[in-house]
Amino acid sequence: MPRNPHEKFGLTALLKPGGLLSPGALPPAHQTRRRDTMLTIGACLLAALGLWLLEGHASGYVVHLTCVGAIFATLAVSYNLINGVTGQFSLEPNAFVACGAYVTALLTLSPAEKEASFILEPLIWPLSAFSIPLLPALVIAGLLTALMAFLMGFPVFRVRGDYLAIVTLGFGEVIRVVANNAQSVTNGPLGLKGIPHITNLWWSWGLLAVCLFFIVRLVHSSYGRALMAIREDETAAEAMGINAFWHKMLAFTLSAFFEGVAGGLLAHLITTISPSLFTFFLTFNLLIIIVVGGLGSTTGAVLGAFLFTYGGEWLRVVEEPMQLMGLDIPGIPGMRMVIFSLILVGVMIFLRRGILGRHDFSWRWLLASLGLGRGSKA
Amino acid sequence: MSQPILQARGLTVRFGGLTAVDRVELDLPEGQLAGLIGPNGAGKTTCFNLFTGRIKPNEGKLTFAGQPIVGLRPSRINQLGMARTFQNIRLFGELSVLDNVLVGFHGGLKSNFLSAILRLPGYVAEERGMQRRAGEILELTGLTRLRDEPAGSLAYGQQRLLEIARALATDPKLILLDEPAAGMNPQETTGLAALVRRLRDELGVTVLLIEHDMRFVMKLCEQITVLDHGKVIARGAPHQVQRDPAVIQAYLGAGEGEGVAS
Repeated sequence: MPRNPHEKFGLTALLKPGGLLSPGALPPAHQTRRRDTMLTIGACLLAALGLWLLEGHASGYVVHLTCVGAIFATLAVSYNLINGVTGQFSLEPNAFVACGAYVTALLTLSPAEKEASFILEPLIWPLSAFSIPLLPALVIAGLLTALMAFLMGFPVFRVRGDYLAIVTLGFGEVIRVVANNAQSVTNGPLGLKGIPHITNLWWSWGLLAVCLFFIVRLVHSSYGRALMAIREDETAAEAMGINAFWHKMLAFTLSAFFEGVAGGLLAHLITTISPSLFTFFLTFNLLIIIVVGGLGSTTGAVLGAFLFTYGGEWLRVVEEPMQLMGLDIPGIPGMRMVIFSLILVGVMIFLRRGILGRHDFSWRWLLASLGLGRGSKA
Repeated sequence: MSQPILQARGLTVRFGGLTAVDRVELDLPEGQLAGLIGPNGAGKTTCFNLFTGRIKPNEGKLTFAGQPIVGLRPSRINQLGMARTFQNIRLFGELSVLDNVLVGFHGGLKSNFLSAILRLPGYVAEERGMQRRAGEILELTGLTRLRDEPAGSLAYGQQRLLEIARALATDPKLILLDEPAAGMNPQETTGLAALVRRLRDELGVTVLLIEHDMRFVMKLCEQITVLDHGKVIARGAPHQVQRDPAVIQAYLGAGEGEGVAS
């Protein structure tokens, strides 16, 4: 296609029709729906077994990392819905994550804990007087974040492209500044401490599963086609009867909901939050994840999130003192970020459109590639 | 004579100092095959953009199927039953041919997004209906063979056909075709003429088309409106328009007497 003349390297090229990994025409989705559902349920059970084993045998460090990975995957999949699928380049997820994290934490912290934390200015009533369990707190946080996105959408979606990016970036900063200064609600720069450590593998992976269920099914419905049509050509989509504004709002609000809930889980994983956690760098990291994974690909977003989480840790090796060909090399702090950046540059040179491009995983594709199922030339 | 499906009264739009469309009057009877012609820059595509709500007129009224439509969103106007194709093809390039057509049905979808996500029976039935009707439309336009190809990879003529197929999916009463034959070879043009005729005869769709291929317009259209510098300079049956001195002058300049190429 003329739009991406550089797509001749790597996985994307292999997945293209005629590429090595391309199994040719797939059977229509509706013919294999029942089989695919069974396979998905099976895969979920297998994943649950894996998590159970991990919980019992792996170190606390690996478990923590796996939780972070799932939360980032949730964030990336949600962010990809508006940025990749709908093609609206926005830069505000740090605001939504912050909103979700603060709301959930304020709802679950015990009154005693709150009184101890808010030393400069007391927390306003009624937040100071009660606490609720995590699950309802997460739902409330998600809904409030979605409401915030909904209200934000009215001014924001009056603009497009670069302008949209700048406006949403501004909103992201506003939320951080509010968190810094609304001391009687957020405790200002001191942040919230002593948040109960509730998030475990089941919470984080459970959220990822729910998020994937909603977003994958949305993308593979008539609404998903409409969102992609808006990405491809908004004028044509409008002319074909798609109200672009409300569909952008749908994608934006739904992604904000999951980003808010994921923020809440993040707060209950790291137990301390402060405004400095929710700077533009959080958005920036998520952007890297979805671009490297393949903008518009949900599978790519999940893959990118786990590569990012585990990769960053594995690369710590390069910061340790080592012996190379008889030379003693002292540990260089920050070296892993250099290597990480080089890898990113490499990925973007050789896989212009990210690791997966816009391809998504499907059982039809997998089985047809393996020469099984109705997709193969039997 | 049936009620006009599309009626324009004193339609005017100005871009800065340029009056692109100047007090245009139009009555398009239901079920007609009509043509809109004129030299380059006469304001034909601007007219289409006005009708479909993409730009708003400075003055004038527009009535579609008995309802005033000035100020409505393009998506709303489409849902009322007016579909269009684009002169500079605007397909959803990365989506498959089938998905391009399926997108056309979305405006008429009754299920909300939650029932789509949860695959409630109402949505599943609608989706099945859309798939079936998309298959029929692809069959009608001869694109069935290409259903899984990305729209951007089709040949030029096929892309034009897909634009028509996608517009048909929105279940239009009136379809506006902006240079449907541009870039097509003579064989494709013949096929296109047959298709456009079938749209009107079998599906009962009113057609208004812009076209520079005069042979195509003269053979196909029953009524032709000629625009020049944003003004309607002639209207009538093809043979009348062809002999109209104002039209000849607009196309060939003053003093030439050859008539419009036919």
